[in-house]
Amino acid sequence: MKKALALALAAVMAFGLVACGSTSSSSTAASTATSTSTASTPAAASDVNAAVFYYNYSDTYISSVRTALDAKLEAAGIKYTDYDGNNNQTTQNEQIDTAISSGANLLIVNMVTSGSSDTATSIAEKAKAAGIPVIFFNRAVEEDGNEGAVLSAFEDIAFVGTDAPEAGHMQGKMIGNYLIENYETVDLNGDGVIQYAMFMGDASNVEAIYRTQYGVEDCDAVLAENGKPALEYFDAGNANKYQLDMNGAWSAQAAQEYMQTNLSQYSEANGNMIELIICNNDNMAEGCITALQAAGYNDGKGTTIPVFGVDATDSAKALIADGYMTGTIKQDADGMAGCITALASNVAAGEDLLANTDSYTKDEANGLDNKIFIAYQEYTGE
Amino acid sequence: MKAIANMKQSMAEFKAMDAKDKRSKVIDTLLNNAIYILLVIFVIFTATRNANFIKISSIVNIISLAASSLPIALGIGGCIVLTGTDLSAGRVVGLTAAISAAMLQASDWANKMFDTLPEMPIPVVILAVIAVGGVIGLVNGFFVAKFSLHPFIVTLATQLIVYGLILEFYMLNGNNGQPISGLSDKFKNFVTGTMFSIPAGNGQSVAVPWYVLYAIILVIVMWFIWNKTTFGKNMFAVGSNPEAANVSGVNVFMTTVMVHTLAGCMYGIEGFIESARISSNTAGTGLNYECDAIAACVIGGVSFVGGTGKISGIVLGVFLLRIIFVALNMLSISGNTQYIIKGLIILVACSIDMRKYLVKK
Repeated sequence: MKKALALALAAVMAFGLVACGSTSSSSTAASTATSTSTASTPAAASDVNAAVFYYNYSDTYISSVRTALDAKLEAAGIKYTDYDGNNNQTTQNEQIDTAISSGANLLIVNMVTSGSSDTATSIAEKAKAAGIPVIFFNRAVEEDGNEGAVLSAFEDIAFVGTDAPEAGHMQGKMIGNYLIENYETVDLNGDGVIQYAMFMGDASNVEAIYRTQYGVEDCDAVLAENGKPALEYFDAGNANKYQLDMNGAWSAQAAQEYMQTNLSQYSEANGNMIELIICNNDNMAEGCITALQAAGYNDGKGTTIPVFGVDATDSAKALIADGYMTGTIKQDADGMAGCITALASNVAAGEDLLANTDSYTKDEANGLDNKIFIAYQEYTGE
Repeated sequence: MKAIANMKQSMAEFKAMDAKDKRSKVIDTLLNNAIYILLVIFVIFTATRNANFIKISSIVNIISLAASSLPIALGIGGCIVLTGTDLSAGRVVGLTAAISAAMLQASDWANKMFDTLPEMPIPVVILAVIAVGGVIGLVNGFFVAKFSLHPFIVTLATQLIVYGLILEFYMLNGNNGQPISGLSDKFKNFVTGTMFSIPAGNGQSVAVPWYVLYAIILVIVMWFIWNKTTFGKNMFAVGSNPEAANVSGVNVFMTTVMVHTLAGCMYGIEGFIESARISSNTAGTGLNYECDAIAACVIGGVSFVGGTGKISGIVLGVFLLRIIFVALNMLSISGNTQYIIKGLIILVACSIDMRKYLVKK
């Protein structure tokens, strides 16, 4: 009995190993197949062995980048292997070491520690030591005001991402413009000031920090231009002026529980209802809408509180189409994947990493030719 | 009547003691009930700072928040009674939440995950998630019991496996990791719909959601299992001393497997409720749920020493954590401080609990 069990366990383990092995070999096989079937693909393409490091597979936006990038790399005939950093920089560094030692000759890195030039430098040094190019994407590699610390210090390095503060600026402006058009409707208690709630995804993430800051500041700027008073945080006692996901997971659950708790003291009948909700991402916006709907708001029948997010996930788009949510900022996953693939193809073709990239927006303010920005877009419905 | 007689007797005993004994007895009683005393002080303090805290709408809010995290705590409680733990709980909740959501998306939702799948009947979905949770629990229990592995290691392993399955699940059918939402109204009403409304004065009423009832039913069922069945008695016997239990004819293997399976079933139900309550399910759903559940159990006196614990304690622990959450928000305390306060409360509560135990020994 015991022996049979041990045998069964060993079999399971062997199966597991084979299963793991087969996934990577099948992607390799598939890419070799594409490169041989399309004669026009440069022969060099099959020599590039890209290792792609994602900060966290469970991130909704990153998942859409991954799907798009997998497809585009495959189409370009570039071999690739994906790694999940599981939100842990140490794990990611170890994965990078492993990938380099197993023969990767192009690193595509979505850093875990967003905006840390130290982390980026150590990764760039690993690449330099191995003599291979590195493309950072999505998460910032340098602190604000420290531009060029990494990107101009190394050869064969590029960054494809978003200008971290841009989403916040854009969200703030979108909210400001929306309020100017709908001020009377939004100001439920008619006191002339909009009471807002802000939900922050992660206290230690620069994108979250910028969105929390500029989402309000830029909106206030638009309001001031039009002679309206600035936004007012609904809870005068909260000096932070935001509610934070304590797990740093930007989750709908955290936002839902905060909002449900807020709604137990703030309501239309009490004359102190929260009149505007700003969220760092769409998941949190969805959580807020769930809580609002449970309390009889945003259900298409009663009052609708404007809710704003960032990301433009499919479900947020559907909520906007139904009129339960007001607006979001689209991060262009497809555009980012396309740009990364273009750079990777340059490497494959033996050209300069940044060849043929003049059509992209670059960080001209700091004279960084290798820092490419994929623009955000406002989204308020098709 | 019996309680009054007991109280009279203990009062008489107390009077018969000399001064020194009296003092230590008072201190003991205070310390043993410190968690309740602290809770009362905390509630009074919060209420004086923000009167909304004890209004009916706030109380209903606390009750419904507590109800939403009860099933997982009730499940994990059994594992702790066996001196174990269960790290996979949160991820099992995440997986079962994803399954419930995918099976119960509205048929007209634009991004329906399985577009050909008709809307399933709710009982089928409940049975499915209980089965999925139960199977994972069974695996946990089997490895713990068969190979005498510490549950920490076994459930750490299953946590990883289940997370992998969750990530795969969200990639299925071109979903590409997008949140699963757009749940059918039937499902949402079944879980978060209004069971009854309480008038809150000024013409308003506060809705109590259905999942409060489900949590109450689960508490009753679990109380019955823990206190009135042979299985429950065996669980405590195995928890306090597996060898002794074995010698007295308790099937330690079966008991361990069953406790973990039962826990898995509870996570399944938690996933079902969470799925509708949050209504936007991502691969991160359920992350760290086990931490709060374990903390709630331990605060409520389910000791890691094993063999001790009460359902009422778990309910109290869950309520305590939720009261803290709501109170800190109503006091407008910042997130950074909230971590510290929550940590301190867990530390103090557990120290008091262990002290009780050390004295007994």
